[in-house]
Amino acid sequence: MSTEEVIRDYKAKRDKIVQMDQKTLEKRHASGQLTARERVDYFFDPGTFTEIGLFVKHRTVEFGMAERDIPAEGVVTGYGKVNGRNVVAIAEDYTAMAGTYGEYHGKKFVRAVEFAKDMGWPLVGLNDSGGARLQEGIDTLEAYGWLFRSQIQASGIIPQIALLMGPCLGGQAYHPIMQDFLIQCRKTGFMGIAGPAFVKTQTAEEITLEELSGWQAHAVKSGQTHVVAEDDKDALDKCKELLSFLPSNNKEKPPRLSTKDDPERVVPELDTLLPEKPSQGFDMMKAIKLTVDDGYFFELMKDYAKNCIIGFGRFNGRPAGIVANRPTWAGGVIDINAADKMARFIRFCDLFNIPLVSYTDCPGYMIGSGQDWQGILRHGAKLLYAWADATVPLISVMLRKSYAGAHYGMLDKSIGADMVLAWPTALVTIVGAETAASVIFAKEIKQSENPKETAAKRIQEYREIYENPYKAAERGYVDDVIMPSDTRKMICRNLDILENKTVARPWRKYSNINL
Amino acid sequence: MAQEIVTSPLPGKVLSVSAKAGDNIAEGDEICVIEAMKMENPIVATVSGKVTEVSVSGGQALKAGDPIATIEY
Repeated sequence: MSTEEVIRDYKAKRDKIVQMDQKTLEKRHASGQLTARERVDYFFDPGTFTEIGLFVKHRTVEFGMAERDIPAEGVVTGYGKVNGRNVVAIAEDYTAMAGTYGEYHGKKFVRAVEFAKDMGWPLVGLNDSGGARLQEGIDTLEAYGWLFRSQIQASGIIPQIALLMGPCLGGQAYHPIMQDFLIQCRKTGFMGIAGPAFVKTQTAEEITLEELSGWQAHAVKSGQTHVVAEDDKDALDKCKELLSFLPSNNKEKPPRLSTKDDPERVVPELDTLLPEKPSQGFDMMKAIKLTVDDGYFFELMKDYAKNCIIGFGRFNGRPAGIVANRPTWAGGVIDINAADKMARFIRFCDLFNIPLVSYTDCPGYMIGSGQDWQGILRHGAKLLYAWADATVPLISVMLRKSYAGAHYGMLDKSIGADMVLAWPTALVTIVGAETAASVIFAKEIKQSENPKETAAKRIQEYREIYENPYKAAERGYVDDVIMPSDTRKMICRNLDILENKTVARPWRKYSNINL
Repeated sequence: MAQEIVTSPLPGKVLSVSAKAGDNIAEGDEICVIEAMKMENPIVATVSGKVTEVSVSGGQALKAGDPIATIEY
């Protein structure tokens, strides 16, 4: 062959893999979805995507596979820039043998994960696959294991984000679930340990794919989806938004942006946010949005364990993880689901050098047989481990109730806070005054001529002595009691001084967190 | 018409009930208040529609997950 022919042959080979026939393309678009290559093009800054492994091909011969051409082995892998920063992507191609996962499909995955880890760049997976390529038997089974091991080895080194854009059912679903964040497309994203057909044959349960594996299953019920997206483009946009808060790897700090929002801005609305009665709720989201830069808060898992709030915001341009109670939902208690939701988020932030700020109004850990028998103690313990193990800057803002176990669970001085700020409305003590008085003065109240009056007097006494922020401030467990309107100013100042916080601890493998 | 059953997010005692069967209700409107963990917890409509059944009354003890009201929308 002449050089000219060689080049012509090369181009033809490349085109054959990259080009899609019109009918397949139209079918794809009719379902409201983009192709893998369109997704990649939309995601990366124009012209920056560089593919790896375009020519990779399976080697299976059984069941007619020898004649089967699968463009790019059913998965597009490579790297490019997202808002100027390098990111690695893995995009499964449902139009190529349903994006099924086989030996070489898996090798491409693993190559991308390891490449991302070695470069120190975030990994984004675009899931859209019919599952295991059964024609490959043990070869596909083993290839899943390579992926799981490689992504776990990369966990905590680079941020990993999963986008559920199509189906991801069966063991393969362990891939997205083991990444740091999961964004699910409302109409097309499905995830589960098994699909409806398998569930029916094995357990006789009849259930639709939407109900079993759709967005509500995971964003509302199971707490495995962090963000719900409207469609492909929305999912990719939200992923970029999320990436803007994250460093590229665990050796870097998250990117600081310039902001026009004055870090010393005073927020008078906060002074009147709380109702008179401590038994009534208030809008915690308002407290968060009024204190972060430009009112911009990126909430995660908003439809799950609504008694707590987690997400990212910025203070003076610095990304921070925010953890809060939502007193208008189940009183803002920490139950099992809330503890799990907050603990994993805290640990993610700690792994990636993202400072944490907690906003507390929490009556305690949830009590009663329901929670106790499901293990609120071991789940609640995750929060304590997460805070005590964390080495990033930790700021605690106590707005109102900071009682009992929740005092540590929402971050206090003893568990590791660098700075504790309390509003004058804060109630920082072991239990509420009513409970305390009923225990301490049980006998006196029972024996008194007017038990109601005696109880009221004793409750008031306890309240004045302990149910306020000042007793804790006297001991130095609260660093300052601040006007609510100064909250933003104080958070910004403290994040400034904590910028270079370093912690040295003796070597150990890891703490034995109650998983 | 789809049905939404509003359930109790936590165990507690019903303090007051503000919705009744036949009411038109908007998402976020209060159905009842449950007292638990030193808090008055307003339970609100999760969808806008018509209340077809209210299954709780004042003073009643509830477990987490117990039905509170059915809304047709």
